[in-house]
Amino acid sequence: MAAKKAVLQPAAAAETPYVPTDDDFKLKNSGTIDIDENYASQSYWKDVIAHFFHKKSAVVGMILIILITVFAIVGPGMNSFSYSQQNLATKNFAPRIPGLEKLGIFDGHETMSTSTGSYVVNNYQDNEEYSNLYYWFGSDNFGRDIWTRTWSGTRVSLIIAVAAALIDMIIGMSYGLISGYFGGKVDMIMQRILEVCNGIPRLVIVTLLLLVLEPGMLTIIFALMLTEWVSMSRIARAEMLKLKEQEYVLASRTLGAGSFFIIFRQILPNIIGPIITQLMFSIPTAIFTEAFLSFVGLGIPVPQCSLGSLISDGFNSLTTHPYQIVPPIIIMALLMMSFNLVADGLREALDPKMKQA
Amino acid sequence: MAATSNTPLLEATGLRQYFQVTRSYTVKAVDNVSFKIYPGETYGLVGESGSGKSTIGRSIIRLYDPTAGKIVFNGADISGKLDRKTRDMLRVNMQMIFQDPMASLNPRKKIGDIIGEGLDIHHTCKNEKERDEAIKRMLVKVGLSPQHATRYPHQFSGGQRQRVGIARALIMNPKLVIADECISALDVSIQAQVVNLMKDIQQETGTAYLFIAHDLSMVKYISDRIGVLHLGHLLETGTTDEIFTHPVHPYTRSLLSAIPEPNPILEKKRTALTYDYKTSGIDYNKGTEHLVSGTHYVSCTDEEFAKWSKEAEVPIL
Repeated sequence: MAAKKAVLQPAAAAETPYVPTDDDFKLKNSGTIDIDENYASQSYWKDVIAHFFHKKSAVVGMILIILITVFAIVGPGMNSFSYSQQNLATKNFAPRIPGLEKLGIFDGHETMSTSTGSYVVNNYQDNEEYSNLYYWFGSDNFGRDIWTRTWSGTRVSLIIAVAAALIDMIIGMSYGLISGYFGGKVDMIMQRILEVCNGIPRLVIVTLLLLVLEPGMLTIIFALMLTEWVSMSRIARAEMLKLKEQEYVLASRTLGAGSFFIIFRQILPNIIGPIITQLMFSIPTAIFTEAFLSFVGLGIPVPQCSLGSLISDGFNSLTTHPYQIVPPIIIMALLMMSFNLVADGLREALDPKMKQA
Repeated sequence: MAATSNTPLLEATGLRQYFQVTRSYTVKAVDNVSFKIYPGETYGLVGESGSGKSTIGRSIIRLYDPTAGKIVFNGADISGKLDRKTRDMLRVNMQMIFQDPMASLNPRKKIGDIIGEGLDIHHTCKNEKERDEAIKRMLVKVGLSPQHATRYPHQFSGGQRQRVGIARALIMNPKLVIADECISALDVSIQAQVVNLMKDIQQETGTAYLFIAHDLSMVKYISDRIGVLHLGHLLETGTTDEIFTHPVHPYTRSLLSAIPEPNPILEKKRTALTYDYKTSGIDYNKGTEHLVSGTHYVSCTDEEFAKWSKEAEVPIL
């Protein structure tokens, strides 16, 4: 009892007759000792960032996403064309890039295959007034600059995907958390509603929506929102079921915390890892879905474009002018890959069980 | 020992807590349990695993809704549906310390915020400064440094975390603290540390404890009165002295006979009594309360009481 008192209240040690002095103990070595810094462990987010940057593929993905995003912002303004500006006289011009054209690539020539044999044409050289014209990625069959259209399409696709994913996250997360926390009948009813929502094919919903609403970015975001939140809510519900019986949640209840305080202040911070991971996985899904809808003609109305509608346009002239489909496809593939790589890296960084020392 | 006044702080009468597992199968975790806790005392609840100790604690603090029975706490009935005023009174005046110090602190919250949660929920403090002061005082009281307020739970050892759990419960100045096996997950030296801390705080603040444990020696050390629980029934209750020197119920006797004796000569002579409910012929549901002496009650039938009283004259050792 006395010994324990001394530990808890150092003042109690004053009763003991002997007071240790500095001379009692002397360091054997130089007198400097290494201070153990293990105790001051890193904060959670520092740890996550360190783990994330440790994984090369995730970093590559992140750099690509940043690059593509920057180009989506500044790309359309880098030359004098606008995404809707048509010039039928300069339609289907092959890519021509200043500098590189001297090397014999991207100098505006293309090989045309016809029934009478294939021959090389260069539209820029055929007419004197086009000698200073540069379509960096070529022009489409309305004479629109593919560079500008690709980046403005990327911009549209990114906005749709990020907005849809964020709204999905908010709806799905809240739905799943509430359903999981209250359990019982509430959970039963909410899960049946979810199954019904999940059972309606996306294409049907979107087609019906486009009958009612005007086609456009908001309609597509709305359509994606209606169907994509299900997986997010499942993850949130599963995490909630895992955590709601934890003692710190019970402790919060015994302190008189309300349900919403517990859900959003106690439990949410603990499941933010899986939520962010799911968010990153749902962005490429949204991009892909949007592209698919645009490809089948349910997407962005002309003259606006998205990656999907660009691919759809390029597909029409794939056999004659293959360069038209290449830029949007490459951008889309890179985007999908990068988001998946980043999501993968985040999942490992956020999940302590997958970390390796 | 703590002063016992005549009006109990908490009185549970005929408390039942059933859990319906399927339509035809119900677990009777707590069956017809009655006991009283007086202000400032420590009531120890002992029994084997699954006997309903923790369930009683959770029913009383209303983490569960009791199936039947009446709980009066601090003059208010807290067994039915709670109105706002009663709930606030309950949530301030009754607190709980949890079993697992690793699980009872939110890993994403700072120690200061964990301890101050009650203050934040009930808006006890007028301003930020007052709140921080209260948290610092509480940290010092449980033997932690005020600088610890900005750290996260994973930076603490098990004993330190349990002290944070105690601080969280005590900052509201509760009249009753339910300590739900709060030392079971700690090693023996830390157990002593935590139990002594709890005793010190009790002397200082005069809170009552409902101390749930299966470690009999620890219960003997901290409790003023003890209740012995088996299969959801409260078999015997009385002061620590009454229970340990004069156990009547065969289950209590077998439980006490299982405590190892530090003296090796006596330890060799010690025989652990066996007790099996199924073959003992005792039906807990038929038992009624019988006064043994003082505050010592045992739950059994009249014949059993006569028989056991005779047996109880013989000491266990």
